[in-house]
Amino acid sequence: MAKSLMDHHDVELAALAAAGGRREFGELVRRHGSAVRSLLRRMGAQGAEADDVAQDAFLQAFEKCAEFRGDGTFAAWVKRIAARLYLKRKAKDARYVAGIEPDQEEVTASPDQAGLVDLDEALKTLSETERLCVSLCHGAGLSHPEIAAAMNLPLGTVKSHVKRGLDKLRARLSPDSGQSGRATHVG
Amino acid sequence: MSADEFDPMIERLFARTPQMADATLFAAEVETKLQSSTRVRTLALTLAGVVGGIIAVRESMNVNLNLTGSQAPVAGRVIGQGIQSASLDVQGAVASGLSQMGLADMTLGSMGGMQLFWITAGALIALAAAGVMKLSQDV
Repeated sequence: MAKSLMDHHDVELAALAAAGGRREFGELVRRHGSAVRSLLRRMGAQGAEADDVAQDAFLQAFEKCAEFRGDGTFAAWVKRIAARLYLKRKAKDARYVAGIEPDQEEVTASPDQAGLVDLDEALKTLSETERLCVSLCHGAGLSHPEIAAAMNLPLGTVKSHVKRGLDKLRARLSPDSGQSGRATHVG
Repeated sequence: MSADEFDPMIERLFARTPQMADATLFAAEVETKLQSSTRVRTLALTLAGVVGGIIAVRESMNVNLNLTGSQAPVAGRVIGQGIQSASLDVQGAVASGLSQMGLADMTLGSMGGMQLFWITAGALIALAAAGVMKLSQDV
């Protein structure tokens, strides 16, 4: 009996997609679409924009599917593509000027109804650049030098942004911070 | 919480993402875009093949080869004789094929060597266009 698409591992589906299998690629999109869209939102993209970039990232991933070797996870691979696409779009739109844009006024995360602050809310307390750097580093899995190259920022600046961003998140999310209680996220 | 403890926690939080309510719709949209981009590519390649073929045929017809003429260079005469003999071979092969199918009465005698050449060229262009289309669908 033939395996259904849901029974296939990501690497198998990617190999079939590389041979032109659109249905197999559709299954990969169903599995990982939400993760990619969430990452883009965490990087600061708005709903429709995040979905547009995510779609473009998946289309690009389909074209490059033969390059996916299964060294990491498929989701991580597409996330990296999506993160770079988003940065390019920001640069193109000139809404983001590397290194000189003023930091946005910090937003105070508001606890949800249960009195808890989750990662998405906590990220809103970071400046735009800190948020991007932290998301690229911990969400898309880019190294500091890769982020520096992608954002056209000095390596030291990237490290500072990541550190400051993490400090703010730690203050917001640590169980002993007394402010957030604990981080919540639907698994 | 120390940085050593916190960094893995942040990575875990980033890795945990909710399945969005419209995940299926999103996947369907991506699949639709994939279909349409494939269709556009196939159409563009077919058009390019047809236009290229038409231009090639038109250019070939404009060339007055006169390859078997007495004033043509030796190489030209050799090529011309080659084309003529190839045409005759094709004609012979088609005729024998037709006789095997019981269609021996169908005469090809009125069809000149150059006519057969153009028919063969047209068939080759069509084959090439079909091959490019198939390749584009496979890629």
